[in-house]
Amino acid sequence: MIDYAWLVPVIPFLSFFILILFRTKMQKTSGLVATIFSGLTLIYAIVIFGQLIKRQTYLAEWQWLTIGTVDISFGVLLNPLNGLMLLLVAFVSFLIHLYSIGYMDGDKRTSVFFAYLGLFTAAMLGLVMSPNLLQFYMFWELVGLGSFLLIGFYFYKNSAKKAAKKAFIMTRIGDMGLLIGLILLFWQTNSFRFADISEVILAGQMESGMITLIAILILIGAIGKSGQFPLHTWLPDAMEGPTPVSALIHAATMVAAGIYLIAVMYPLYMASNVALAIVASVGAFTALYAATIGLVQDDIKQVLAYSTISQLGYMLLAMGVLGYTAGIFHLFTHAFFKALLFLAAGAVIHAVHTQNIKQMGGLSKKMKVTSVTFLIGALAISGFPLLSGFFSKEEILAAVWANGQYGLFVIAILAAFLTSLYMFRLFFLVFEGESKKTIDKIQPTPITMKIPMIVLAFFAIFSGYLNTSWFETYLADWLASGATFLSTHHHETPLWLFFVTILLSVGGIVLAYFIYGKKRINQEDWKSSFPGVHTLLKNKYYIDEFYQLTFVKATNAIGTFFTYVEKYIIQLCMTFVKDVVQSLSKTGTKTQTGQTQTYGAVAFLGLVLIVAFYVLKGGY
Amino acid sequence: MSSVPLQAYLIVALILFCIGLFGALTKRNTIIVLICIELMLNAVNLNLVAFSKFGASANITGQVFSLFTITIAAAEVAVGMAILIAFYRNKRTVNIDEMNTLKE
Amino acid sequence: MGLLSLLVFSPIVGFIILFFIPKHDMKMLHKIALAASFIPFLFGLLVFILFKTDEIPADILKWIEFEAGEKSFVIHYELAVDGFSTILIFLTAIIMSIAILAGSFHVKKDIRMFYQLMFLLELGVLGVFASGNLFLFFIFFEITLIPMFLLLSKWGGTDREESAFHYLVYNGIGSLILLVAIAAIFVSAGSTNFDTVMQHFATNENSGLALGIAIALLLAFGIKLPIFPLHSWMVKVHVDAPIPVVIVHAGVLLKIGAYGLITFGIGFFPVAFEKLVLVLAILGLVNLLYGAYLALVQKELRAVLAYSSISHMGIILLGIAALNESGIQGAIFQAVSHGLIAALFFLLVGSLANRTNTTSLKKLSGLARLTPLLAGFLLVAALAGLGLPGMSGFVSEFMVFLGLFEQLPWIGVIGTLGLVLTVVYMLRVVMNMTFGTYRNMFGEIKDLNVYEVVPTLVLIICIIGIGVFPNIIASTIQLTIETLRLGIGG
Repeated sequence: MIDYAWLVPVIPFLSFFILILFRTKMQKTSGLVATIFSGLTLIYAIVIFGQLIKRQTYLAEWQWLTIGTVDISFGVLLNPLNGLMLLLVAFVSFLIHLYSIGYMDGDKRTSVFFAYLGLFTAAMLGLVMSPNLLQFYMFWELVGLGSFLLIGFYFYKNSAKKAAKKAFIMTRIGDMGLLIGLILLFWQTNSFRFADISEVILAGQMESGMITLIAILILIGAIGKSGQFPLHTWLPDAMEGPTPVSALIHAATMVAAGIYLIAVMYPLYMASNVALAIVASVGAFTALYAATIGLVQDDIKQVLAYSTISQLGYMLLAMGVLGYTAGIFHLFTHAFFKALLFLAAGAVIHAVHTQNIKQMGGLSKKMKVTSVTFLIGALAISGFPLLSGFFSKEEILAAVWANGQYGLFVIAILAAFLTSLYMFRLFFLVFEGESKKTIDKIQPTPITMKIPMIVLAFFAIFSGYLNTSWFETYLADWLASGATFLSTHHHETPLWLFFVTILLSVGGIVLAYFIYGKKRINQEDWKSSFPGVHTLLKNKYYIDEFYQLTFVKATNAIGTFFTYVEKYIIQLCMTFVKDVVQSLSKTGTKTQTGQTQTYGAVAFLGLVLIVAFYVLKGGY
Repeated sequence: MSSVPLQAYLIVALILFCIGLFGALTKRNTIIVLICIELMLNAVNLNLVAFSKFGASANITGQVFSLFTITIAAAEVAVGMAILIAFYRNKRTVNIDEMNTLKE
Repeated sequence: MGLLSLLVFSPIVGFIILFFIPKHDMKMLHKIALAASFIPFLFGLLVFILFKTDEIPADILKWIEFEAGEKSFVIHYELAVDGFSTILIFLTAIIMSIAILAGSFHVKKDIRMFYQLMFLLELGVLGVFASGNLFLFFIFFEITLIPMFLLLSKWGGTDREESAFHYLVYNGIGSLILLVAIAAIFVSAGSTNFDTVMQHFATNENSGLALGIAIALLLAFGIKLPIFPLHSWMVKVHVDAPIPVVIVHAGVLLKIGAYGLITFGIGFFPVAFEKLVLVLAILGLVNLLYGAYLALVQKELRAVLAYSSISHMGIILLGIAALNESGIQGAIFQAVSHGLIAALFFLLVGSLANRTNTTSLKKLSGLARLTPLLAGFLLVAALAGLGLPGMSGFVSEFMVFLGLFEQLPWIGVIGTLGLVLTVVYMLRVVMNMTFGTYRNMFGEIKDLNVYEVVPTLVLIICIIGIGVFPNIIASTIQLTIETLRLGIGG
């Protein structure tokens, strides 16, 4: 079975192909067909994973492009990390397909939606199975395409159009970093293959300056894809897409690809302390930065989007402090609880047809399953004891502490506290309190939407036990078996860290309860006492406006400047050339008097000249 | 009988040709221009005949050629006159300066 | 008469047959023209397949012979192909058929003459790519000028005469420079046969002359490509020419510049070109960025595409400037890829203009609602244009930049800005047209019909085919690259 592992991305691609081909005829059945394809993908991925447990790695390559003497291949690589990602992507994708049947019911373009989902899933599966950096980059762009298409799914909405465009452009900027990085790396190592690259690096055959440069360039790619500061602005806007898309692409899988990139290039980062420090700082800063914005947003999906950015920052931070397993672990758990939160939010939006949390309230009575699963997700992300987020977050904090980055540790703690605060702000505003009058009718949540939420809730609770020092560190051992470059020593988690983690999460929840649940603390007081801060956060630190004023303006200005160059200089030259030719030909016409006699005289003169020439020169 | 040397024929022909050329290039009356062209052709004929008698390899071909030329010249005059008459009907003149439509 | 001669002169069949079709029988004319356009296509396919299996013999006939002083010059009628020209011939054949099919939608007057001129144009282009010596190359090069001029000036848009005149003036100057360069080569090498010339300049190092000729070639083909300050004629042609002609022009004719620069420039004068590397790189960069920035602010769809062509030609120049296997291979790929993508774009633009009667970006919006197929294909074209992996544009851009980073990393770094801008303008233009709210300005417009979908799909399949299996082309041009690499001495 594993020899046909390349079929895994082909199955969802077939789904895409069939649905796009028969998109008008399969309007009704598209959801079911796509879900079956997705289910097949999942089953196949599970089978492959089962075989992978025994054999650890699998590699198959085919020649793709020959440049002179260099052969670039295309292939399939499976190792512990890839296998885990493969399973995760196939699993979440299947659940999202199932959920979308209910969510997209009644839309006129369901078949297109499911086709795009299939395309994205195929690209994402291809991405995680890439054995070389070039193939990785290609699928990296293709998942971007899937994301772009799905963000712009409601193409008639101007906001969706803008968001899709922005997502593509912003990630493309990051991608250029990755592209430059991988080309430079090629000229250093003469290969795109991950195995060859890490071999060269581990053998110490590269200059450290070059390593740092390439590491930073690749990090730029990860920053773009994972929505890290300063290329994060596209991710909140990407919420314009349908909610299942936000859950799949912009929470669980694609945005985590940036972290995955750092993980597959980890030997490179381990070779450069500067690069690691930058990775950690970007991650920590983004974690805190996005969390502060998440505190004041009123759109339920915006809050979740900033929460995603913040959590991705967390993972990046873990990567930057040599917490390889902690980062991947958090990626793993985050995929479940963040997808869950998005799906629950989707159920809410589906029910009340608004995204503004100020217009919601008291939904827990009417939407039991949704509110309970959302609560589980919120608890998990806040790091509430015994839920998955608790273990992964605690491990990240431990890694930061063990690395001795105390400044970053403080930032991480603050971000963790803010996380539980804004998550429960969301919870209390949406599900508790009084119901608002604006919501008169609540649409029931279909069963196809409930099942994925329940399944994800299950994983949001229990996936943490895969890697805890209490039982067995399955995940860490599994990952370590595929990443020999990692140092194997296991740092002991200081006991007080458990309490810090618990304190943070519970503290945030309690504070949120008092502000938004009980309304003991008047939030208006806070707003009025720090008016500047509130507006600053509300406007997301004016980063969008800043980009608009600088980069967009500058680009347009250069464009306009070139228009003038074109208009005045180039056109002038063109007119000049044209005029020269025209005046030359005018002069030419003047000699054409039409007088036959003149022509004859000139011809005779010519003859005389030729004869005279030969007479003087004496023949030939 | 053969006291007239080749040079004499050639000089006559040259003079004839020059007169013809001069006339063809300068005269305003188209009929005179046509006649001048005939003059030039005849100068050539004279040369042909002279060379067929006194040339380095004297043979009859030169005379045959001149016969051809005379025929062509006759045809040419006929066509030329026809064009001229047509032109005259249009413009009521045979002044060659008026014949400058070639430039259009 | 060899296969290559049959190929080159096969468009004549269409040219002649059309004489026997009554002028006003439009349907018949369309059908016959399309059918006749398959003749060169089949020959092109045959040449392509034969080239892959074994070498195609060159056609040689002694043609002109003359003496000057002690030197005796012989010009043969000789046709020969290498990997690069085989691919361009095949590309020409495909795009010509598509352009002639597109003609049935876009050309209303004097259709017979239109098709005949198209066939003449095809003859010229095929001849350009199949000629085995510079003299013949020049003759065919000139043959392309005349039908193109007539097509432009008779069937073009509002400003057609002006555009045609500019076209003639610029390309005439280009031809003049090319003629001088060819004459210089001829006098120096005593032959214009490609191999002989290459060997002559490889052994007889006359750097001054070589550099001079190299610059002349750069200028001559630079006008055709076009390179930055010489590009304005091409924008005019893109905007004013009838759709089928633009398809051919952007798809094939511009590639003559790339073909000339690579085959003659690098092929004959590698050493001289090595001295020009920086100039080439900067010109390429200017082309790339200047075109991209201007494409960003245009208000007319066709103008955007014109500047985008300039931008994409910059990538070819960058590939040439890299002067290594990867760069040159990338440049060749880019020539082919841009041909397909530009043809696709203009095919769709033609269908769009037929429905809306405008290509002004301000008026177009939300087309995806009524014409999802057209909108979808436009998006595919844009994605191909911005170099999405899995499509031909990515392979070529990637190879060019791979090559460039080995030689001139800083130019490469600035060049990536161009890649970002490409995304910006491509998405701007296509999304503004297809996304957003539909303003009911054009009534109930219909989606593409089957005669529009089929050629579009053919082009898309080619584009994706090259993107997914690039070795189809890479293996064909391997020998060409190898020869060029030996010349460079890499």
